[in-house]
Amino acid sequence: MIKINNLTKIYKLGKKKMMELKTTNPEKIAVNGLSLETKEGEIFGLLGPNGAGKTTTLRCVATLLKPTDGDVTVCGYDTVKQGADVRENICFLTNEIKLDPNFSADYMFKFFGRLHGMSEEAIEARQTALFTEFGINDFKDKKIDELSTGMKQKAAIAVSLVHDPKVVIFDEPTSGLDIITARVVTDYLKKLKEEGKTVIISTHIMSEAEKLCDRIAVIINGQKACEGTLGDILEHTGADDLEEAFFRLYKEYNPEV
Amino acid sequence: MKGAGIIIRKELKRVFSDRKLVFSLFILPAILMIGIYSLMGNLIKSMESDITEHISEVYIVNADDGFKQTAKNFKYEEGANVHYLTESEYASQKADLEEKILNADIELIAVFDKGFESTVSAYTKAGDAIPQVNVYYNSAENYSTQAYSVFSGLLSDYRTNLLAGRLGNLEQLNVFTQNDQLIVKEAKANNRFISMMLPYLITMLLFAGAMSVGVDAIAGEKERGTLASMLLSPVSRDAIVVGKLVSMAILSSLSAIVYAVSMIVAMSVMGSTMGDLAANGFGNVSFGPTQCLMLLAIMLVMVYLYVAIIGLLAVLAKDVKTASTYISPVYIVVIIAGMLTMFNSGKAIPTTRYAIPIYGNALAIADLCSNELTSVNFLASIGGTLLLAIIITVAVGRAFNSEKIMFNA
Repeated sequence: MIKINNLTKIYKLGKKKMMELKTTNPEKIAVNGLSLETKEGEIFGLLGPNGAGKTTTLRCVATLLKPTDGDVTVCGYDTVKQGADVRENICFLTNEIKLDPNFSADYMFKFFGRLHGMSEEAIEARQTALFTEFGINDFKDKKIDELSTGMKQKAAIAVSLVHDPKVVIFDEPTSGLDIITARVVTDYLKKLKEEGKTVIISTHIMSEAEKLCDRIAVIINGQKACEGTLGDILEHTGADDLEEAFFRLYKEYNPEV
Repeated sequence: MKGAGIIIRKELKRVFSDRKLVFSLFILPAILMIGIYSLMGNLIKSMESDITEHISEVYIVNADDGFKQTAKNFKYEEGANVHYLTESEYASQKADLEEKILNADIELIAVFDKGFESTVSAYTKAGDAIPQVNVYYNSAENYSTQAYSVFSGLLSDYRTNLLAGRLGNLEQLNVFTQNDQLIVKEAKANNRFISMMLPYLITMLLFAGAMSVGVDAIAGEKERGTLASMLLSPVSRDAIVVGKLVSMAILSSLSAIVYAVSMIVAMSVMGSTMGDLAANGFGNVSFGPTQCLMLLAIMLVMVYLYVAIIGLLAVLAKDVKTASTYISPVYIVVIIAGMLTMFNSGKAIPTTRYAIPIYGNALAIADLCSNELTSVNFLASIGGTLLLAIIITVAVGRAFNSEKIMFNA
């Protein structure tokens, strides 16, 4: 469903950014020749430390960024040449992309439904299902601004799923959520998987990757260090748990540490 | 352009469902404008009536009987408390009185030469003595200036009386009479003030309106991370740009209309407290249907250019604060362009200048008020602005497609 082929993303740094990062190199390689493929009905996890290139990779998949080299296809559509078709089939969730705080969840849901070209009846039916699933009905007419963080996240997830996408991309799905809301989210991701959707998430939380993901790619310095099921990775590294495996891989890629 | 309509509807709902926003965008400016102007009108009026009603303290030295009689006929003492002094009385308190004028305790001192009227009547031929009156007043004090102007009127009467006594027949002085006949376009004469102010106000207020709605619609959404969610929908970036710009144009036009209407109301409120309007160049601008359409067309292209400029700067900025910083210098340029048209000596302006965006529009509006806008100049002013607006719109589209600008990547 998602096919990432030799993806490379290089950011050109401005003078200010170079000062911030204390570097004289005007280019930063965020993702370096990454290839992977996800299947229908699986949750695929990108596991890596901050700055490893997880978010950049997901943004390339979501058509928000253009690859410097290599290509990405989603449901057979190229993210650069057929961006609109790709966006028709995905939803992309992150903490940085938010719903307009001045509107209610109800209005936002209808707004995005219309942008996806759905009929009013289809939007209505979808809204009933999703709002019940996430327990949004009680606060659907309140402004997003007035909602708690957990409620906001639930509303954002429901709205992003309005068009019933085949591929769900989720950057740090449980970051900033309390334990109960986090559970609602992870349970729903499992449900999506059972419905045959492709789910790809990024995370730096080992336990989340262990419990949730069918397959994991460990990303370090923009490169894929290891890929496979939890068992595959433990076998490959000879470690007892994922955390130990991750550190062995990290040392391999950063010998100076 | 699928999706642009949906975005326009959302943007309008955003503003009109928020009572605070409606109040600050549309109601507050009207209240402020009318309030400030009527306050100004009332203050000016009460200041003027206070000055004319003030009883001034006046000291007159060496006044002869003829002067006192003239003052009586002039009813001078109704508006002034007059103290007649002799030369010796004056000599003893001269410095004190001048100090009082300086401190605005008294308004005026007039000192006639000794034997004023006898010197006047002794005059027979050129070279004979001509007497003098010294008038002391304080030009920085409103009461004193007013006292001076009333006293000058009195002196003029006194002079006429003395001349009548000397010549017997005043017609000898009227060598000829002058009769002025006005040949003027009524529109131009009546609304000089309006046609001076209107282009400036329209240029400025349209921008102010666009600025208050445009910054939040793009830079605000970018800052809050809500623009990205729209970029993730299958709607094309161009449709998002069109949706944003059109909704900004609608809102800023509305806000400009509110400003314009409240300005007209405010001016008539101010005018009604200040007397005859048309005589002061406050007369109404009367537009025919063609002129109305021309004004509308000019205003529409201006709004389009403004939202394009503001849209571009707002999308380049990473947050609302930066966007406001970028836009301030542009606002100053717009104000200057509008002001330039206020001071026009009447020299013919070449058509090429009408093609300069904003400045040319202000020129065209000024001409429209005095009914002098030619169709060539009209088209030049529309064309120049439209061209720039289209170029900037393309740039906005580019910016929306740039990942560096949209995601700081």
